Amino acid sequence: MNFEILEHPADVGFRAWGDSLEDLFGNCAGALISIILDPSNVERNQRWDLEAEGSDRESLLVNWLNEVLYYVDTRRIVFDSFAVRFQEPFRLSCEATGEHRTPEKHPVRVSVKAVTYHQLLLSKTGPEWIAEVFVDV
Amino acid sequence: MSEIKLDALDDYRYRIARNETLGMRTDVLVFSSPVLIEHVKKDQSLGQAVNVATLPGIVGPSLAMPDIHQGYGFPIGGVAATDVEEGVVSPGGVGFDINCGVRLVRSTLTRADVKGRMKQLIDQVFRDVPCGTGTEGRVKLKHGDIDKVLENGARWMVEHGYGEAGDTERAEAGGAMKGALPGKVSDRAKERGAPQLGTLGSGNHFLEIQYVDRVHDASAAAAMKIEKDQVVILIHSGSRGLGHQVCTDYVALMNQVMPKYGIQLPDRQLACAPISSSEGQSYLGAMAAAANFAWANRQGILHFLRDAFGRVFGTDVRLELIYDVCHNIAKEETHVVGGRRRNVLVHRKGATRAFPAQHPELPPSYADIGQPVFVPGSMGTASWVLTGQPGAMAETFASVCHGAGRLMSRTAVRKGKNITEERRKLEDAGILVRSESRDGILEELPEAYKDVDEVIEVVHNAGLAKKVARLRPMGVIKG
Repeated sequence: MNFEILEHPADVGFRAWGDSLEDLFGNCAGALISIILDPSNVERNQRWDLEAEGSDRESLLVNWLNEVLYYVDTRRIVFDSFAVRFQEPFRLSCEATGEHRTPEKHPVRVSVKAVTYHQLLLSKTGPEWIAEVFVDV
Repeated sequence: MSEIKLDALDDYRYRIARNETLGMRTDVLVFSSPVLIEHVKKDQSLGQAVNVATLPGIVGPSLAMPDIHQGYGFPIGGVAATDVEEGVVSPGGVGFDINCGVRLVRSTLTRADVKGRMKQLIDQVFRDVPCGTGTEGRVKLKHGDIDKVLENGARWMVEHGYGEAGDTERAEAGGAMKGALPGKVSDRAKERGAPQLGTLGSGNHFLEIQYVDRVHDASAAAAMKIEKDQVVILIHSGSRGLGHQVCTDYVALMNQVMPKYGIQLPDRQLACAPISSSEGQSYLGAMAAAANFAWANRQGILHFLRDAFGRVFGTDVRLELIYDVCHNIAKEETHVVGGRRRNVLVHRKGATRAFPAQHPELPPSYADIGQPVFVPGSMGTASWVLTGQPGAMAETFASVCHGAGRLMSRTAVRKGKNITEERRKLEDAGILVRSESRDGILEELPEAYKDVDEVIEVVHNAGLAKKVARLRPMGVIKG
């Protein structure tokens, strides 16, 4: 498991790890999806190109996850993989695979309103990158 | 947060004196009780109220209501007024669910009328009022309609067959806030929210069929046309994905522009801009549009609720709106501060407006009693009807609490719980629960919340609001 769910008095968060920043950002996206629905049995039948930018690493992470949330919540897509590439220090693109979700196959466990800056943590410990993110549900 | 020193002023008021080393521009005033304050100390909400006290242009104290708990940036149950000329507006001070609020509906039924038919009724309401987490809503908008909804709120719904004329008379701002700028709402926010119009949503949103358990203020209850054992319905929902996206968009924008305005804050989730700036004005226009979407949303839910009651009890049964209040909003209002009339922007994040009697914004039917305030408790306990009192005008920018306040995290309350057993426990207590998701029930169990009666004692005894009636649930629909 490359992430775990964290408790918050009113809402939900997660801690994710990665061998690189790219890896970490992908794992954070996977963690976010697992809060919203059960991500098992996702068929890899389509590809989407996602992009995000920020003014620093933290805002890039929040903006990236809000971009993923838009695809999951509004466009009703569920992803199973993310290949994140940094284009510039604070801009990324991502090839993501997955499928259009249906309420029958991937019922929503809880709707996430937004990804927040609350207690946001993004750091490198030894060779490993780690992030903590809280979302409003 | 060891620097935070909390002084008890009396039985219901606590103060954190201004500490400039923390960047505070003002005091924090907390309304609480010896029991509740111990819960408050366990999370970060007091630290968040201190952070709010650092906002540029804050007027009066940073306020915390007795249901305060940890939120994002602002605490939930936080109130802050900023000077309209020199102060800032913070989207986080309104929250992601812009104009999340409650409306209370009275029926012409009594508890005895529904007793043997609650199962049929709750199942019918569950079928007719979409939760919206899995499926889309039933209000179909044509191209261009969304901007009209954003401008005209509940009025648009009534004009298009989703309600009755009286529905908009008894809602805060008539169900449509002035100053809405649909053009300042992103296409993405409209795309996210439009299919959800007329749906409850998940999380703590709900629809409860309740009965009046106790009447505390007979004349106010008479003005609201409610009496003991009458069946009422409480609807708690907000602006759905549209409001969430507006907040997301503007928190991102304000984080970008804060350096331009020389603003530095201890928490990025408080991101703000001067009210007078183009970004501040754009946000306020988008926020008002999202607020109108929320009023339209609650109006749609009422319409579908009427259908459901009609199917079960026939068309003679009437459902009438008592009032509709929002508890996540920023509103420009005039208040007397330090003996001087000031125009301020009151941020209410998990707090309800509570104007006292004779306030010019009240509808005529409530002019003599004060603004109705509805405070939902948890699904197994009770909810309250209150009226705004002069104390709120004097001390809290006319604001009171909005709920019981969470005590336990969603994961903690779920732990070791079995859905069948919990559902049976609630049924044994006379409460039928329906939800699209198992977690929707388990995460909102009564033990997750503080005692709503204790919260109400604080605002009643502190003179902010007055008890009118206590409501008990019989049927609950969770998103």
